[in-house]
Amino acid sequence: MKWLSLLTNEWIKIFSRLRTWFFILIPILIIIGVAVYDKVATDETAHENWKQELTANIEADKKALEDTKKEDGDEFFIEMLESNIKQNEYAIENNISPYEKTTWQYMKDMAPISFLIGLFVIVVAGDIVSSEFSKGTIKMLLIRPYSRWKILLSKLIATLGFAFAMWLVVIVSTWLVGGLAYGFGGIDQTYIVQSEGGQIKEKLIVEYVFANIGLEFIELTVLVALSFMISTLFMSNSVAIGVAMFTMFAGDLVIMLLQDKEWIIYTLFANMDLSVLIDGQNQFIQELTLPFSITVLAVYTMVMLAITFTVFQKRDVKA
Amino acid sequence: MTTHTLELKNVTKRIKGKTIVDGLSFSVREGEIFGLLGPNGAGKTTTIRMIVGLISITDGEVLVNNVNVRQNYETAMERVGAIVENPQLYDYMTGYKNLMQYARIMPDVTQERIDEVIKLVDLEYAIHDKVKTYSLGMRQRLGVAQALLHKPNVLILDEPTNGLDPQGIYDLRNYLRLLANNGTSVVVSSHMLAEMQMMCDRVAIIQNGKMVRIDEITNHDEEKDVKVHFHIDGDVHQAKQVLSDGDTSLVLEIIGNELVVETADNKTIADLNRQLVLAGILVVGIQRKTKTLEERFLEMTKKGGNVNEVAIPVNK
Ligand SMILES: Nc1ncnc2c1ncn2[C@@H]1O[C@H](COP(=O)(O)OP(=O)(O)OP(=O)(O)O)[C@@H](O)[C@H]1O
Ligand SMILES: [Mg+2]
Repeated sequence: MKWLSLLTNEWIKIFSRLRTWFFILIPILIIIGVAVYDKVATDETAHENWKQELTANIEADKKALEDTKKEDGDEFFIEMLESNIKQNEYAIENNISPYEKTTWQYMKDMAPISFLIGLFVIVVAGDIVSSEFSKGTIKMLLIRPYSRWKILLSKLIATLGFAFAMWLVVIVSTWLVGGLAYGFGGIDQTYIVQSEGGQIKEKLIVEYVFANIGLEFIELTVLVALSFMISTLFMSNSVAIGVAMFTMFAGDLVIMLLQDKEWIIYTLFANMDLSVLIDGQNQFIQELTLPFSITVLAVYTMVMLAITFTVFQKRDVKA
Repeated sequence: MTTHTLELKNVTKRIKGKTIVDGLSFSVREGEIFGLLGPNGAGKTTTIRMIVGLISITDGEVLVNNVNVRQNYETAMERVGAIVENPQLYDYMTGYKNLMQYARIMPDVTQERIDEVIKLVDLEYAIHDKVKTYSLGMRQRLGVAQALLHKPNVLILDEPTNGLDPQGIYDLRNYLRLLANNGTSVVVSSHMLAEMQMMCDRVAIIQNGKMVRIDEITNHDEEKDVKVHFHIDGDVHQAKQVLSDGDTSLVLEIIGNELVVETADNKTIADLNRQLVLAGILVVGIQRKTKTLEERFLEMTKKGGNVNEVAIPVNK
């Protein structure tokens, strides 16, 4: 029962830091800023003739396609052009405007903001253990009548709670801002994707949005576990933040360098960006599927947490 | 029967093959102030870290209120309050919020108790300021406050007077005495001799991780530490000769015109005096002097052989 007060304590510590409030405020400002800018800068009547625009695009793409084929160009580029043409044709046929904006579309567009959330969560997770070591406060905490794993668990849960709460705040803010800017409708709005077999399909935007929300929870958990582990092992927040950020951002680079290695699909890097797997488009490594990636991430998370707890339990605290 | 609230049995700490604390044993009684005295690097803080579970115990046992710290940590720590080295606090929070951190997770800390403790350490005026604005002494006071919050019956303070002003030291000493009178066992570590002498009931002298001896702090207890000064009007060397002829085992020393004899009970003093008088030596004064703890400490911990000489009878 008293364990909950450990959790309360950690929560209070997180929110006593000024930076925490910036972490929450910054994404919200961006969400508002983008919507306002979009409203002010774009002429809503500009795309009234979107069908003609798309037709023009198709023509241009077709021409580019011919040229590329003639020059024996990059296969990836050819595929992309073909896919674009197909999607645009489908859009015209089925009357799906890519320019129709609703709050759901806005949420889909703003999905990359999750990188920012990931970044902030890494900072908090990387700091929550190591800063107590570097400031020496850890010894004031560990001499209480609680086993060490309980104290560490309170920190883990507090960080996860913070990460999830922040993500939820961002989601709700996006929905609200998007709704005020573009209207709350569009629950049945669709978008076009090309499935693996090259087939063109229509999908509900809400489906994408909710899948992305769910997957972000998983990604955040992995990031927290990673940052948490390094923070505990090295007792240094900068190392923790550095490594976790590297995993998150440099992942694509590492994959490019190592893409011909078979084991690449079992690395953390390859599986860190789950949202590309929702539609399977622009996917770097074709072998990856959602269930596979989630399983790999789950295994990594378990192992990282096990290491963290074992090391923390045994460590001599000389802070 | 005396109850022991804290017992160390052959406690040893080795780090990378280096023995830092070596077979340390002592018991702290209920209601006593027990001092750990030793030079820098003696192993005081290391010992305290083992007691409160911050570092592992290589060998031996620590019992708090008869509960083994290693086997049953949570129960053992329930009634322990401690400061290990400097109290490190959350700079970005107020003193009050810092206290609340610990109040929340310790059993039975009421609002009244929190206020009471703040008043006790004299921090009311600054308790709602951020800790980063605190002076060293104010941090120390807050550290003491957090250690006292849950009314521990074993209070362990590592160098508690560090940074305190004379008033603060005086208040702390009085308060610790009050706590001890009410049954709390207090363990304080320090390398400040005079302070330990004023504060403690018993002092364990530690050097190189080993127990040198445990001293009761009273006025003149152990005979060994009493020195008798004979003020001689005349030839001191002759007086020395007279006494050593009488008893060759006597330890004699000449300081100025005083002959210092390491001894002994009243009977021997009278006897020695008679010998001197009979030899025609003018004794103008006799004084008993107990060695101060400081003298004992320096004597025992100074580099060289006589450390071991003193240590041997203790270890028997
Ligand atoms: N992690 C470690 N590795 C190696 N040696 C250590 C380690 N921690 C402490 N020591 C050594 O153990 C000895 C005892 O240190 P400790 O801090 O217990 O001394 P102390 O009695 O508290 O001294 P002080 O009066 O300076 O506070 C020192 O010689 C120190 O160098
Ligand atoms: Mg020390």
